Amino acid sequence: MVEEPEEIIHISVPTDERMTSVVRLATTAVASRTGLNLDQADDINTALDELFRFSVSQESKPVPSIFRIQYNIHADCLEVVTEGVGDSINDETSKVGRYCRFILEKMMDEVTQKPNPDGGLDVHIIKRISRGQ
Amino acid sequence: MSKRSHKNLSREELLSLFQTYNENKDPKVKEVLVDSYMNLVHSLARRFANRGEPLDDLVQVASMGLLKAIDRFDSGRNVQFTTYAVPTIVGELRRYFRDRSSTIRLPRGLRERSHTLNMAIQNFSQEYGRSPNIAEIAAAVGITEEEVIEGLEGAEATNVASLDTTTDDGDLSLLDIIGGEDKTMRLLDERLSLAGAMSSLDSREQNLLYLRFIEGLSQTEIADRLEISQMHVSRLLRRTLKLLRQDLTSKETYSS
Repeated sequence: MVEEPEEIIHISVPTDERMTSVVRLATTAVASRTGLNLDQADDINTALDELFRFSVSQESKPVPSIFRIQYNIHADCLEVVTEGVGDSINDETSKVGRYCRFILEKMMDEVTQKPNPDGGLDVHIIKRISRGQ
Repeated sequence: MSKRSHKNLSREELLSLFQTYNENKDPKVKEVLVDSYMNLVHSLARRFANRGEPLDDLVQVASMGLLKAIDRFDSGRNVQFTTYAVPTIVGELRRYFRDRSSTIRLPRGLRERSHTLNMAIQNFSQEYGRSPNIAEIAAAVGITEEEVIEGLEGAEATNVASLDTTTDDGDLSLLDIIGGEDKTMRLLDERLSLAGAMSSLDSREQNLLYLRFIEGLSQTEIADRLEISQMHVSRLLRRTLKLLRQDLTSKETYSS
């Protein structure tokens, strides 16, 4: 992403499955600030839902104590960065990891990963905004 | 299930029974195995006994989980049966509570708002041929965007759609409408590279994933094809993915 975001929103939640609804509510609220329609907003919610559930699962190694999400609102897309996702998401022997990557790739327009200096991976997911016809 | 004479079988005897059952699927052997693990079933059912459901019902549900675990357990692996059975039985119990909790705690006001939003989304999608955004729904209904978000997410959090739910139009259940195709399971397994991952889903649930992930239809397009609402597709999809994840997690625990 070359251009600067128009708006940046951070949220941090404990790595606890009960926080799933908090992540969903926040994501829907952020999506409403963009031009994303319901289908697209639900795709982001589903992708983040799977990423969050992976991060709180036993399959995620290392497990972050806090799940941090940064929403970057651009004119033409919503970029979401999640910090410290377990490296095991790329473990080819992990069915849950493969499943999570499959959902991300199917639901989002772009998925990239970068190592986090404090451990794990930062996962960047992007949904482009398709305006009404 | 009333016989108690099999419960003190040794580990070697149980392993031998599993090997026999793997080979010939003899129902009599299965009965012995079920009887041998009924203490486990009761123990796990009691863990969920303080949630308002009769213990007898929970034992029945847990027993279904045990039957599945016995059918799926591979005695050739160097893994204790209980390591595999516990997550399977607990998953069955959780699924039971999840299905029964559908709409029970949904406040009336939120239910009415959810219905209004549902109608507005359908009308908008039909008129413009695309899914609306939050602002467009708010304008159509005459409420704030925050109220729309609360209506959408609040309702979804408490109202888990069931594939057995009947449509607005009549008696057909979604199971009937979505239908089944044999190729779905194979295609999705290939795409997911998760051999056997789809086996926990019935053919209708597999087809929902097929429409979304193989045909690449949006939720609105799936809703049009199945003649149900986008919100309903959203809930069904979430439920189906949850089932798939639960099954994968169970199998991962088993294989690790």
